Amino acid sequence: MAATVDPPRTQTPTPASAPDEPGLERAAEQAESRRGFLIGLPSLLYLVVLFALPLVIVVVYSFATRSRTGRTILADWNLSSYARLFDPLVLEIGLRSLWLALLTTVISLVVGYPFAYYLATRSPRVRGVLLVLVMIPFWSNFLIRTYAWRVILGRDGPFVRFLEPILGTEGQLLFTPFAVVVGLVYGYLPFMILPLYATLERLDFSLVEAARDLHATGWQAFWRVTWPLSRPGVVAGSILVFIPSFGAYVTPEILGGGRTTMIGSYVVRQFLSARDWPFGSALSVAILAVMLVAAVVYFRTRDREA
Amino acid sequence: MSLTDTSGASRPLVADDSVIRPKRGVERLLAGNAWLVFAFLYLPILLLFVLSFNDNRVVGVWTEPSLRWYRAMITDSAVLGALRNSIVVAFISTVVSTILGTAAGLSLERFRYRGQRTYDGLLYLPVIIPDVTMAVMMLLFFVQAFDLLGAMLGVSATFGIGTISLSHIAFNISFVAVVVRARIVGLDPSLEEAAADLYASRWQAFRRVTLPLIAPGVAGGALLALTLSLDEVVITSFVAGPGSTTLPVYVFGLVRRGVTPLINAVSVLMLVGSMLLVLASLLLSRQRNTT
Amino acid sequence: MDDHQLAGTLDAGPLAAKTPVLDTVTTEVAAVSGIEVDAPLPAVRLQGVTKRFPGGRNHDPVVAVDDLDLDIRDGEFFSLLGPSGCGKTTTLRMIAGFEYPSAGSLQIFGQEVGLEPPNKRPVNTVFQSYALFPHMTVAKNIAFGLEMQQLPVDEIDRRVAEVIELVQLQGREGRRPKQLSGGQQQRVALARALVNHPKVLLLDEPLGALDLKLRQAMQLELKRIQEQVGITFVYVTHDQEEALTMSDRIAVMDGGRLLQVGDPEEIYDRPRTRFVADFIGDTNLLIAEVLDADTARLYDGTVVRVPTGAPAGSTVTLAVRPEKLGLWHADAERDLRLDALTGTIRRVTFLGNAINYEVVAGERAPVELVVRQGNTPGIEHFADGERVRVRWLPGSVAVLED
Repeated sequence: MAATVDPPRTQTPTPASAPDEPGLERAAEQAESRRGFLIGLPSLLYLVVLFALPLVIVVVYSFATRSRTGRTILADWNLSSYARLFDPLVLEIGLRSLWLALLTTVISLVVGYPFAYYLATRSPRVRGVLLVLVMIPFWSNFLIRTYAWRVILGRDGPFVRFLEPILGTEGQLLFTPFAVVVGLVYGYLPFMILPLYATLERLDFSLVEAARDLHATGWQAFWRVTWPLSRPGVVAGSILVFIPSFGAYVTPEILGGGRTTMIGSYVVRQFLSARDWPFGSALSVAILAVMLVAAVVYFRTRDREA
Repeated sequence: MSLTDTSGASRPLVADDSVIRPKRGVERLLAGNAWLVFAFLYLPILLLFVLSFNDNRVVGVWTEPSLRWYRAMITDSAVLGALRNSIVVAFISTVVSTILGTAAGLSLERFRYRGQRTYDGLLYLPVIIPDVTMAVMMLLFFVQAFDLLGAMLGVSATFGIGTISLSHIAFNISFVAVVVRARIVGLDPSLEEAAADLYASRWQAFRRVTLPLIAPGVAGGALLALTLSLDEVVITSFVAGPGSTTLPVYVFGLVRRGVTPLINAVSVLMLVGSMLLVLASLLLSRQRNTT
Repeated sequence: MDDHQLAGTLDAGPLAAKTPVLDTVTTEVAAVSGIEVDAPLPAVRLQGVTKRFPGGRNHDPVVAVDDLDLDIRDGEFFSLLGPSGCGKTTTLRMIAGFEYPSAGSLQIFGQEVGLEPPNKRPVNTVFQSYALFPHMTVAKNIAFGLEMQQLPVDEIDRRVAEVIELVQLQGREGRRPKQLSGGQQQRVALARALVNHPKVLLLDEPLGALDLKLRQAMQLELKRIQEQVGITFVYVTHDQEEALTMSDRIAVMDGGRLLQVGDPEEIYDRPRTRFVADFIGDTNLLIAEVLDADTARLYDGTVVRVPTGAPAGSTVTLAVRPEKLGLWHADAERDLRLDALTGTIRRVTFLGNAINYEVVAGERAPVELVVRQGNTPGIEHFADGERVRVRWLPGSVAVLED
């Protein structure tokens, strides 16, 4: 047989293939998909039952009514819990949370960016060691790390005693917004540093060289090249700091006082002491909404940069 | 902070990275900032270590070093009970979430099917959701579930180790999946093809090639789950029953009432525990990079 | 181990034993297809093989391989050659079983395997990335396939030792892939596939990651091993030189279609299409008007003797390699055995081992062509602007189909 480009057609079943018809491989590929789905199914079921369903229940509760005794009546569906979100007191707490979370985010960015830049411009060896040094406190117990600041900022702590000449004997750091922000920055700074470091480390520094070659000053090269290219890291870090800061509970509870109540603590209060579950649920939904907005912003930016 | 280029200043012509490396002044500022950050991160922890060995009943007043509060800690039945609960919960939730999270990671990274994006989104939510919200979700879910169980089966269930473990698994699956997926993504898909090409069945290919290669990721995910479970406060305090508090919840209760030397000692115990876990996972990731 | 011994072990390999039905299949297929009964069964036969990949949301499916008919003969070194995205790798992956065809029939020694999983096919693959198992030693990597087939331990040991000798990796058995050089990893990948005595060995650009010198050495090495073991090799490459050097036959692909199949000389000297002529080596493409069955005329009036196969008056494209052209002074004697064209040198490019001359002939519609002269002693050098005569043997010009 010489001509191999067109071997004689045999009667071996060669199904005529219209382009829009499913191909021969379809059954095999479907079996493969089914197999993959089945492997993921147990976790999917778990998440549906113990995450998605609870989420729905919270939304349902937010429309329920609270009885005089604090019981939740799953009837008489109404929006009064949402209406209460606009009470001056609640709005104040919400705005305070927003403000403290934003402040935390900005401070983390201002401190974290140069830190990540410093890290990313070290030699690979040094970089590895420094990164480990960032990771260790990051992975250590959050509650305990916050507690440490209570000791530091407390009445007999080193800070107050050191600052006594300035603050006076009545001065106090603990239970102030300052303490809360310090605690939040302390807790979430690594969330800012790690994504920033990840983008800066991957940044092609020959682009900066190119900018310098094209007569940019160091400052111009930074603003016109490095900063825009590191923006995905900035956005990711900011969101990762903002979301937990906004919903924080442990930090304001340990370091804050009556006048620094944040929305997380307020939610907990509805469940553990005030026993107003519908209102607490509505507050949780509000937190979720803020979180989702932040997440959408993040994914939008990421997709645009990509 | 002045990053402005002083173009008149003499620039050394030696280093080839002189253009990308910031000027010496800026470099100093960056280094200074870095050391301040490290001090900020480590001094509080260090202080806690030192104070835990202080004999004085008042935390801020140093008298002499002693192990007094550690002795108090290991004889405190409440602390020990809470520690035991913590360990039980951490063990259960780590084992279950490691298996489920790894399966989820494999399913999402190695297969294509419809509805995958929704699954993906659902899997990411527990990572970013604030713990307070998750705590509310779990509380209401279990209240409803108990009502239902009582009404339909006459079974009376209560909050306790079980509910805590179920809640911890709910968020740990996602964290394990994130870590495992990162490992799977880095795995050359042709390795699995090679196994199949060399007559391995699906199970053999998984057992002999895929699993050993993603093992560091699975172990990393398990360590993360263990750490998170041992550290969790908010969700746990919502779904813990009487007598089933975990160590962080117990400590949180104490801390809200004030600072005591006993808390310092327990804190150091917990810090050392989590740092050992970090070190273990760092060693793992080093091994991960070499294989 | 000498060649005979190895050939012997391969013939008596378990795969050969596993398929006693081979002969009956041969006759059956032969009877149905009307091929002469004694024609040997092809190692791989593709008939109407098509592969469509889903094109994503609101997109038409992408046709990676389009209605491919191809026979690969038993024992030959066969190359699939083409630019990236031409469908050659998809074709190889379908033979291996990593992709299933959307339509068509795929047979290995007469057995339909199109929808069989890879572990059920008597073929093995050498991957582009080698795909060596990083957590296993060299010996364990090589033994993997035999262990999966549950061969007795002593036979596994014997065959691993044999193949290690074949690829000259003695002393490296205990190493991990990471501890080997690129060339050594390549040999392990080859050994891991060969140790199974596959009926067909599939190689997906296996030399792509090696540097030039090593690649050239490995080309010869691969050819030697192929001749020694006598297994059919199907070799995917985008490197035309590599394909020409090693192959018994080459299939040139583009856009999912097969353009031409032939031995290296055929492909090089008688390209059928513009794409093949252009993709393989350098070539001069000349537009000509057909005068009759045996001659065509270039725009400058030069008459070229070539079997045109087209009606008089139609236009055809001719292809001729630069090195098939000779360069002479314009006043050189006529030689009736050669066709010739007179023109002016417009540019001279020195290549080291050769010199390229760009020659222009004619005025209104100038014919441009490149002449390559080997830089050998005694060869006359020409200068820019010189009038020259370009001459060639009539057989060195090919007519393209498009």
